[in-house]
Order: sequence, then structure tokens, then C-alpha cells
Amino acid sequence: MKKSAIFGLVVIAIAIAVIISVYSNSSTYGSFSDAQKTTSELHIVGHLNTTKKLYYDATKDANYFSFYMKDNKGEERKVVFTGTKPEDFERSEQLVLTGTMIGQEFHASKILMKCPSKYTQDKLEITEAKATQASI
Amino acid sequence: MDTVFKGEHLLPGQIGQFFIVLSFGAALISFISYYFATTEDAGKNDSSWQRLGRIGFYINSISILGMGTCLFYVIYNHYFEYHYAWAYTSRSLPVYYIVSGFWNGQEGGFLLWTFWQAVLGNILIRRAKSWERPVMTVVAFSQVVLATMVLGVEILGTRVGSSPFLLLRKALEAPIFQNPDYLSFIKDGQGMNPSLQNYWMIIHPPTLFLGFASMVVPFAYAVAGLWQKRYKDWVAPAIPYALFSGMILGTGVIMGAFWAYESLNFGGFWAWDPVENASIFPWITMVAALHVLIVFKNTGHSYFTATFLVLISFVLVWYSSFLSRSGILGDTSVHSFTDNGMFWQLVIGVLIFLVLSVVLLVARWKQLPITKKDEDTYSREFWMFVGSVFLGLSCFHLLVVTSVPVWNAMFGTKMAPPSNIKMHYNVIQSSFAFVITILTGFTQFLKYKKTDVTRFFITTGLYLLFGALITALVVYATGVYKLNAVFILVMWGSVYSVVANAKILADAFKGQFKLAGSAVAHIGFGFLMVGAVIAAGTSSIISINNTGEGFSPEFAKEENPRENVLVYLNQPQKMGDYTVTYVGDSVSTPNVFFKVDYKKIDATGKIEDEFVLKPKALINKGQMSASPDTKHYLFHDMYTHITMFYPVPSALKGDAEENGAGGHDEANDDKNYDAPVSHEVKPGDTIRYRDGYILLKGLNKEAKVQSIPLSDSDVAIGANLEIVTHGRKYEAVPVYMIKNGNVFDFARKVDDAGLKLRFSKVIPENKKVEIMVYQQPESKKKFIVMKAIQFPYINFFWAGTIIMVIGFFMSILRRKKELKTV
Repeated sequence: MKKSAIFGLVVIAIAIAVIISVYSNSSTYGSFSDAQKTTSELHIVGHLNTTKKLYYDATKDANYFSFYMKDNKGEERKVVFTGTKPEDFERSEQLVLTGTMIGQEFHASKILMKCPSKYTQDKLEITEAKATQASI
Repeated sequence: MDTVFKGEHLLPGQIGQFFIVLSFGAALISFISYYFATTEDAGKNDSSWQRLGRIGFYINSISILGMGTCLFYVIYNHYFEYHYAWAYTSRSLPVYYIVSGFWNGQEGGFLLWTFWQAVLGNILIRRAKSWERPVMTVVAFSQVVLATMVLGVEILGTRVGSSPFLLLRKALEAPIFQNPDYLSFIKDGQGMNPSLQNYWMIIHPPTLFLGFASMVVPFAYAVAGLWQKRYKDWVAPAIPYALFSGMILGTGVIMGAFWAYESLNFGGFWAWDPVENASIFPWITMVAALHVLIVFKNTGHSYFTATFLVLISFVLVWYSSFLSRSGILGDTSVHSFTDNGMFWQLVIGVLIFLVLSVVLLVARWKQLPITKKDEDTYSREFWMFVGSVFLGLSCFHLLVVTSVPVWNAMFGTKMAPPSNIKMHYNVIQSSFAFVITILTGFTQFLKYKKTDVTRFFITTGLYLLFGALITALVVYATGVYKLNAVFILVMWGSVYSVVANAKILADAFKGQFKLAGSAVAHIGFGFLMVGAVIAAGTSSIISINNTGEGFSPEFAKEENPRENVLVYLNQPQKMGDYTVTYVGDSVSTPNVFFKVDYKKIDATGKIEDEFVLKPKALINKGQMSASPDTKHYLFHDMYTHITMFYPVPSALKGDAEENGAGGHDEANDDKNYDAPVSHEVKPGDTIRYRDGYILLKGLNKEAKVQSIPLSDSDVAIGANLEIVTHGRKYEAVPVYMIKNGNVFDFARKVDDAGLKLRFSKVIPENKKVEIMVYQQPESKKKFIVMKAIQFPYINFFWAGTIIMVIGFFMSILRRKKELKTV
């Protein structure tokens, strides 16, 4: 067999190995009820329940932050995050949590939030514009 | 019904929009003319098509400048009737950020890209000679595609492109726009996102976009070579441009990393964010392409690989633009744009260049100068080829993982990226980096075509061993050995690459100067990897904090590192080797700078090292954005950033809150303190309290209170108090007063110590006085929550980058010289 053919096979083998390792490493998006059933880390998309209290008191524990999130199926759980409250957390429109369920609490190792006002900047001003009009 | 709106400045926008359409038209004409110049006038020296193509391209370039001028005019004059000016700038923005407001939005990014492409096109018109016609056909075509991205015109009911001159009232829907006088209510723009207000925002995007734009030149040469069947000739002139691309894009990407490290709160220089990854796809493939281009030029091998990699690099530029602009990364990236209705247009952008590349390769497949003979195993070309393929594989892995949302969209799956994504990338990419760094070392000792095998094995073996020794030393000293074995391998590969290339460089000075550029670039890359592995692998969070109360048994049991530490004002806190004190803050609207004093005290109590860091927080519309401060040492950095602070300085608060917090009302003020404790003391006594003690030094009969005149019958006594807390001393003199038979007392506050002291009673029977001590509760005291990270040897990373860029530059000079001599 030619050397280039052998090398070609090695490359293909590595490419396949890469795909398999990515696939087996990949996590899934799920809901809180999915997280209840498994011990592995899961991504959960949902939104913050703003009617319930966010808890963060740095004087008690600078690394404890809890809040309530509703997942896309409407299920709500208390979420605990080991860290400080992310900046502009209240403004977030969507949250993506990574973590596991421990008892009835979801322990997030990572929070990714999307703040529409920060990125498209359009939403905020519309409400402001309305407020200005009311005062005319 | 047409409303006439008051106060709008429509002219600059109309001129700008005219320039956009003109640039599109001119690019189209240029493309068509160059196309015919290539096909119809082939072989003719004088071509009217070519002249027309040039004119079209010149007009295109001028209209791009025109667009830029109009946009700048709009932004500079704060014409907020334009969405772009409103969304990205504000009146308070300093001029130098107004310049960067220019490329804050997606449209500005495209503008920058098309601008650089126009600049490069003009250089090519002057220098490409016989290649001008086919190469400029491709560049002009790319200009056409880019122009559609900012066109903002409706064609057949769909909006094509997004114009930077879109009016606010057309961009948003709100009832206010029914008011003809709406502009008088829009006083100011949204302003720039605080985290972008940084000098890196001024130079990072132009550099990055020049890197992206320059990818078009090698691409155009490759396409021209296939199209004109000049399969071999295109390689030599394309190499300097490919080097330039690699140099500039590499610089741009690392600038982004430096920006993130210096002033964003990522806590590092590389976060494997999809947008970051996307920006290095084309860099990796272009560097790979570069190596096989050189192989082909010298030996005639690897033609297909070289062409394919050049073509794919440009396609990946478009793909990375699609990833960051289409909103598809929504769930996985922190800083991608949201879709502004151009999803499919961006997809088409990617596909056009992909299909063009594939079609050309397939159509010319049979004629491609692909060698039938294998390279010799001990030849430089073979191992350079292997290295390029491994670079390609590394890019392939990045691409597969970063594109997870794309696969989900295409196949309807619900995959999520690996949950410990950083580790995943680090381990797999390090494996590739190991192979690649080893190759950058020993391949340099091989010669093209045939090498003396025994000598090669001896030198390679020696240097590998030498590299291993140094690695063992470094790994032990820095603590890298505690990490995954693959990181030790990368260390070995990188150190080996540095020593092997240092040998080549030494030889280069003895005469073989040709190889100097590549040796320098490889040394730079080796250092970069060494720095990256040590800094990222052994960075240690110093602010480890396990003092939290633990809110539930489960929470306490977890062994999560707790990375934030709370520091009260003037209360020193032990943190790793350092004692950290929050000594104060200064406000310079909209920034708050926190002074954090670091002291390193050795066993004997002597101060070894002391410095003050001033991390800042920027408050904009109630949003806080923190920016770290770093103490740089030659061999490590101390990085500190604020994650929270209390209270918000009143200068930055809204007016409403300020009134409520006014301290004039005594009863109200007392609420800020715990219930007072009374102490009966005589001079010389001390009062102990939570944070220290208070000494009554004496009573002072001549106390005066400003603006209260005293008559003879009145009495005013001051209590001279000395407060000692956490090694600091303060003085306070609360006053007790009898005026016209009424008793008053004047409390004194020591804000820094969180105390209020009252001299409330004189007890003549036992010659004692009563002092009331008000303490601020812990929760009312000023504090910051901060995170501190130590990055060892990070300077290798930055220095490596600079060395690598110098290497690229040396190679450009060499390849240019070769071009002239041939």
C-alpha cells in the first residue's frame, strides 16, 4: 500500500474519532423533569420567574445565588448557583443553565443569559418612548 | 398619508444610501467587465473591458469612502433619527469612541470589510500584472456580494441587506413615530455598551477585518489559477498575501484575547466562545495552506491540498461571519449578534463561495497537477504536508463542536455542546497542538526531496531529549505536572519546537538566512503555546472563600470552588499569600474605581511586596459592567475584578434614591446602625466594640460647635476619642452641650470605621460620662465582592505572539524578494 493511502486512512480515522468524541461528550437540552432522572450535566433553557425573589446576600455568602426559573415546559424549580449574581441578571430574557438536579434544587455550574436590551437595544427604548408620550 | 417630520436631517442618509447603491452597481460593472476582460480579451495587451473594470472598481472604492464619510457625519453630529447613530452612540461618548461606534453594529462591520477589500483590490490593480483580470474578477465579485449585505433595499418583497442609514422610525415601531415632532423627544442615543468602551475597540476590529478581508487575495489567485488553467503560476505570487493574511488575522485575534484579558471580566484570555473559535477557523486553514503552498512551490507535491485549503479558508471567513451574525449561536455564545433578518442572505453568502470552489475543483479535477509519486518519507515536503493536514483536523474539530447549533438547525436534533466545554476543547486541541509543534521542530531539519537519515535521527533525537529535559524542569517548577498528561505533551512539543527552531535560527545567521522567518515564527508559536498552557493550566484563583454560611446541607457538601471573596472597607482580609484591603473608592462618572491594596508579608512580618490595584465598575443606565485591573510582573500577573459592590455611590444613583438616602433626618440616620450600646467611662478608659476599641483620652471643656455661639452660662464639653480598628487610628470629638438650660449633643461619625459616637450624658456623681456607640451592622458596611486570579508566565503568550508576527513579516519580505528575482 502506498504511504499516502495509509496516511489518508489515519486522517479519516482521526476525523471519525473526533466526531465520535464530540458526540459522546455532547450534552443535551432538556427540562427540569429530565434533569431529575439523570445524574449527568444537562443544559436547560428557560426564563427567570421575576415574581419570586432572587436571593443574593454577599455579607452572608458571597458565592450563593438562588432564583426560580421556569423551563420551556413551564416547570419551575429553585436554582442555586455557586457564585455572585451575574450583572443585569434581572433583565435577562432567556437563561441557559448547565448543571444537575440535587434534591429539589437545580445546581447550576454555568449560566448563560441573553439580554435583548444589551444586544439589539431596541426593546428598552420603545417603553421609554411610550413613557415620554404619556407626559405630553 | 405622509407625515412631515420636524428636525430630521435626511440629506446625509440619502447621500450615503446613494453611495451604497453606487458601490453595488460599480462593483457589479467591475466584475462583469473584468470577467469579459479575462474571457474575451484574453491575450490582448490593451483591453477596453479591463479599463472599464478598473474604472468600476475605482468608483466602488470611492463610494465606499463616501459611505464611510456620510456614516461618520451622521454619528459625529448625533443625528439620532438614524437608527445606527441612536443604537450605538450617545452625546456623552468621547470622539475616539465615536470612531469605534462606526463599527459597533453589523453594518459597520461589513463596511469595514468591504473597505479593506477595496484597498487590497487597488493594490492588486497596481501589482498583479498578468493576473489582474482574473484575480480582480473574483475580488470585484466578492465586493458585489458584500455590497448586497449593506444594501437595505427591498427586492421582490424581501429586504436585501441592512443599511447603516436606516431611519430610527423605520427601524422600530412605536406610537411615538406618529408624532411629527418625535425627534424632540429623542434626546440621546443608547450609547455604546460599556464593555466596548475601551481603546481596544478602536484598533481590534479594523485589524481583525483586515485579516478577514485579506483572505480574498489568495482565494482569488487560487480561483484564477483553476479558471485560467495556470495551475502552477498562481502559487508564488499568492504566498506573500497568504502570509500577510496569517499575520494580520493572527494579530487581530490575539488583540481580542488581550482585550478580553485586560478589560473584560472573562477571567482569562481565551474562553472558547463560539465567536472566538469562528474567528480562528480561517487562520488555522490559511496557515496550513501556507505550508503546502510552499511545498508545492518547491517540489510540485500537495497541489490539491494547497488549493483546497486556500479556497476553504475564504469560505470559512464567510461561515464565521454567518455564525456570529445570524443569531444561530443564540444559546451557546455570550457575544454573538442577534439575527437582523439576514439569516438566509448570510447562508447564500457562504454557499456562493463554497459552490464556486467545489465546481471549479470538480471541473478541473482531471487536469490538476497532482503527482502520482509519493513523497519521500524523509523529505521536508512530506512532513509539512502531514502538519498541514493536522492543522486542518484541528480546525475540523473546532468547527464540528462550534457548529452544534447549526447541526441542530439542519437535522432537527437537540444536541447541546459538551457540558465541560473548556476541558473538552483544551484536551482535544492540545493533542493536535502536540503533533503540530513536534512537526514544526523536526521538519526544519529535513531537506526537500531527500535527507541524510542517520544524521537527521541523531539531531532530532538529541533535540527531543534536550526539549524533554527542559520540559521536565518547567513542568515541575510551574505545577503543570498536576494536569492532564496531554498538557505535558504539548509543553514538550512546544519547548522542543522552540529549541529546534532556535538552532535553525542560529544556522540562519551563519548563512542560510532564508529559513530565518519560519524559524522565528515557529519559535513564537512555541512560546505562545508554552505561555497558554502554563497560564491557563495553572492559573490559580486566590480569592478562594469557604466562609459562606451554607444555605442547605447539600450546598455545603458540594466541593465547588467558591471563587469570590467579600472584603469590607478597611478590614484586611487574608487571601493566599496576600493580605488584601479595600481602602477606598473614587468616582469619576460613570466609573467607580476601587482601591484594593495587596500586601505580601513574610514570616517575620516584613512587607515583601505591596501594590494597589484599581479595578473599576462602569455604571450605565443601572447596568454594571466590571473591568479588571492587573498587576504585571515579568513572570506572573495578578488579576483582580469586582463582581459586586455596596453601596452604589450616590453620585451614580438615580435622583429619586438619593433623596431617600439623605442623612439629615436623625431618626432616619439611626436606622443605618445597629441599636446603640451605652458605656459609662472616665478619661483613660477604653470601650471595646466589634471591630476594635475606643479610648477616651480626655474631656475638652472648650469644645466649639460651628455656627452655635455660646454664652457664659452655656457649657460645651467634647470627648476626645481615639478609635483603633484593624491597625488604623481615627479621632472623633462628639460634643455635649447645655445651652439655655437645654441639653444637646452632637454626634460624630467615623464613616471609614462604620461608627457613630454620641456623648450623651455627664454623670457628675462618679465623674463619668456616657458614650453611646452606634455601629453599622455588617450588612450596612461598605464592601466589595471580588475575584482574584494569578496567571503565571502569561507574558510568554503575548511575547510569543509578537515573535510569531515578526516571523511572518520576515517571511513576507523573503517571499517578495523571491518573486522579483524570478
